[in-house]
Amino acid sequence: MAANIWRHWKPRESSMSDIVQLNNVVKEYALGKTVVRALRGVSLTLARGEFIAVAGPSGSGKTTLLNLIGCVDKATSGTVTLDGAETNTLDDHALTELRLHKLGFVFQSFNLIQVLNVYQNVEFPILLQGTSTGGERHRMVEEIIDRVGLKEYLRHRPNELSGGQRQRVAIARALVGKPMVVLADEPTGNLDSKTGQSIIDLMKQMNREEQTTFIFSTHDPRVMEQAQRVIELVDGQITANGAQPAKA
Amino acid sequence: MARFRIMRLLALRNLLSHKVSSAIVGGIIVFGTFLVVLGTSILDTIDEAMARGITASLAGHLQVYSADAQDDLALFGGGFMGNAEIGTIPDFAVVRKKLEAIDNVEAVIPMGMSLHTDVPASELDLAITRLRQAVATGDPGEIDSLAQQIRDMAADIEEEQNKTRAIARKEEQVRIDERLEILRRVRSEAFWQALSRTPEEELTYLDGKLAPLSLEGEMLWMRNLGTDLDRFAERFDRFELVAGELVPTGRRGLLLAERFCEDQLKNKVARDLDQIFTAVTERGQKIAQDPETKDKARRLPGQYRRVTYDISPEDAALIVERLAPLVGVGKNIEETIKTLLTVTDENLAAHHKAFYEQVAPHIRLYKAKVGDTLTLRSYTKSGYIKSLNVRIWGIYRFKSLEKSDLAGAQNLLDIVSFRELYGIMTKEKQEELSAIRKEVGAAAVNRDDAEAMLFGGGDALETRAQQTDMDDAEIFGADGALAVARAESDGFDPTQVDQGLALNAAVILKDPDRLDETRAQIAAVSKAEGLNLQVVDWQQASGIVGQLIIVIRIVLYVAIFIIFLVALAIINNSMVMATLERIDEIGTMRALGAQRSFVMGVFLLETLILGAFAGLVGAVAGAAVVGLLGHAGIPAPNDIMIFVFSGPRLFPAVGASNVIFALAVIFLVSLASTFYPARIAARISPVVAMQSKE
Ligand SMILES: Nc1ncnc2c1ncn2[C@@H]1O[C@H](COP(=O)(O)OP(=O)(O)O)[C@@H](O)[C@H]1O
Ligand SMILES: [Mg+2]
Repeated sequence: MAANIWRHWKPRESSMSDIVQLNNVVKEYALGKTVVRALRGVSLTLARGEFIAVAGPSGSGKTTLLNLIGCVDKATSGTVTLDGAETNTLDDHALTELRLHKLGFVFQSFNLIQVLNVYQNVEFPILLQGTSTGGERHRMVEEIIDRVGLKEYLRHRPNELSGGQRQRVAIARALVGKPMVVLADEPTGNLDSKTGQSIIDLMKQMNREEQTTFIFSTHDPRVMEQAQRVIELVDGQITANGAQPAKA
Repeated sequence: MARFRIMRLLALRNLLSHKVSSAIVGGIIVFGTFLVVLGTSILDTIDEAMARGITASLAGHLQVYSADAQDDLALFGGGFMGNAEIGTIPDFAVVRKKLEAIDNVEAVIPMGMSLHTDVPASELDLAITRLRQAVATGDPGEIDSLAQQIRDMAADIEEEQNKTRAIARKEEQVRIDERLEILRRVRSEAFWQALSRTPEEELTYLDGKLAPLSLEGEMLWMRNLGTDLDRFAERFDRFELVAGELVPTGRRGLLLAERFCEDQLKNKVARDLDQIFTAVTERGQKIAQDPETKDKARRLPGQYRRVTYDISPEDAALIVERLAPLVGVGKNIEETIKTLLTVTDENLAAHHKAFYEQVAPHIRLYKAKVGDTLTLRSYTKSGYIKSLNVRIWGIYRFKSLEKSDLAGAQNLLDIVSFRELYGIMTKEKQEELSAIRKEVGAAAVNRDDAEAMLFGGGDALETRAQQTDMDDAEIFGADGALAVARAESDGFDPTQVDQGLALNAAVILKDPDRLDETRAQIAAVSKAEGLNLQVVDWQQASGIVGQLIIVIRIVLYVAIFIIFLVALAIINNSMVMATLERIDEIGTMRALGAQRSFVMGVFLLETLILGAFAGLVGAVAGAAVVGLLGHAGIPAPNDIMIFVFSGPRLFPAVGASNVIFALAVIFLVSLASTFYPARIAARISPVVAMQSKE
């Protein structure tokens, strides 16, 4: 892994705090005989500790962008570099390792594992990491569940929880393995606005306390407003990428 | 470790949350394992039972016979009644010496199976013979009663012939009419009045014309196994003498098989009565239940003459008196027997008992008995008929195979007599032959003529026997029982037993577990010494029935194979369905950092857990059923199965190997059936987790 870092390290374009770099990324989907260009030359950089919203109308390429950053898909051209590693050059096994150790995911439809309870769902990523002892794991899981406010629900199954509670479990699951970046694709999309706001608040709190980078997509202006930086996509191209004054 | 724990957890949880498909797959596995355990346990038990039964009764552990054989050796019921062309072992003594030198070989016993015939005297023959004696001694009472018997029999035959005539072709009818004419004459008063005037004329007419029409004097086919009788009785544990004695060393002799006596020699009425009795008492049937039994019972009373012919007037009076309480008073002997033979479900036991207690002692229950001498005839290899008188010394059976007709089909004959009937020349005879050649001039004597000179003593007789035109005074002994054609020495030099030909030989081993090894050794010795032998194990040697077990095993394995193929398809299908249902979950796990191997692992573990659990349940159920069967025993439904079970019941037992085999099969099937769906699952992309699904 160390070798990879050096090989793909590009001092010109990055600073020490940059953890994700996209350089002229194009993503095309083949749809029958036609080709859909979901991203048309996107370049951007994410720095450690940022809290970023990806905005844009439906179909503008938000999910596609997160997929590429999240290493679940590869770019058609251009480079995606995650913590110094160029993802296009990695095989499935290595990408999976990257996801496991460096990334956290929060999904629009929560995607909890139905057959596992809250505790087991949260424990899942660190069990896969296999780097912690049973005792450590236990502490980590209990602590993070406590912080998302679900201490009482450890033994509940996902289908016994409300939507907001499920998304809190998902956030705990995304954070328990201490990732560099948490990707959240429309995390409030399936929630009412009040619950959605509490989820955004939780993410903000975690961003502050853990210095974990958050990048989430949304087409809700009220959610968008709460980000430090908003990347606006229209038809697969960035139309705006700028910091906005933080709201107190 | 932690990863495995979560895999196991996922697998278990998935199984529990997909109850229907788990239940279906589990059910199939339970059934499959159950069947494997049950089937292989029963088969293994049969194998063992058969091994014990066959090896210890006739086959030994291995059989050797000529490498030039055209047919396969079939000790039990294979080929046409044992007349298979299996070649010869020309010099048994050498084979015995060489093979018994092998350390694991306990004994080598010479054998030769052949078909022989005997023409036992019919009831009619016997009556005519007794009439001849009565005429000679001038006993009018006896003459009258015998005359009546003979006329009754003639009436019987007439009835049969009339029936045949009704369905016969024209040309045939002419011949039947001739017979009817004879019968009419014998039944007439005039004929019997003439007897007192010119007895010789009438007796000759009875012998020459009436006797050949007898329904009973048919040829008796015997499957005789020529062997070293002393060593046979000593080496085969299942051998058991039930009547008479062993043939003394150095004497010719026959030991009849008990089943042969019951099936072939017994009075037909008694045999039918036995069969009805067995069906009702042993199989718990009602007479009317089985068409064959019903038919037998219906025809039984009509056959009363087969019993009454044999009964003398004094005995008849006694029987009538004794049976009166059972059949009613004021009846004559015919009516008494007829009533006795009219059996119903209710009276069967009493009538059967009365028959054996009151009637059987006064009739000739078997056509031959211990102490009688049979005239065995056989076609020699060169086509001549050779005949030999051999005394019946005893009756034997194979323990626990008492009820099997197959195992009891062959009588035992001393091998010296066997060789003579087989028609292969001993050394002495060969020398004798070359002496004759010299005398007559080699060119003039072909082999057949020479054999005719050597063996031809019985030829003239044979010709007559074939025409059933026998001269009673010459043929029937004083006891009137059976043919005594020639008085010949029935002793021989005991060393002759080993000297000469055998068709095959049983090899009995010290340690049967080393069978394969010893077989190879024998093959090697045969090759090295030029013995020209082939070696087969008892199973191959026992013929079609012995191989039946192999067929059953193949059928079972094919059935198991098909069941598991179906199981495989169903498990595969339900796992593919489960995979499709779980695409999101799998995608999520992949997005969260689970490797493909992890996903496959979960799937494999799921089937393995289910397989292990259901497999154990099936195995336990199978073992339990085998246990129950082993307690109660499985009754053999027919003769072949008695033979296969090596007894009337099979008591199966489960071995560890049966369970291990079943679980191993389940293990493989589980793995095989999950492989494809697990691969599909592993190929699910993590992208699917990101796709929104409202
Ligand atoms: N797997 C796919 N195959 C084909 N076209 C796709 C696929 N995923 C996304 N697209 C297309 O790419 C464009 C961007 O989609 P997406 O990234 O999902 O946008 P958003 O998340 O902003 O709604 C859309 O036109 C969409 O139809
Ligand atoms: Mg989207």
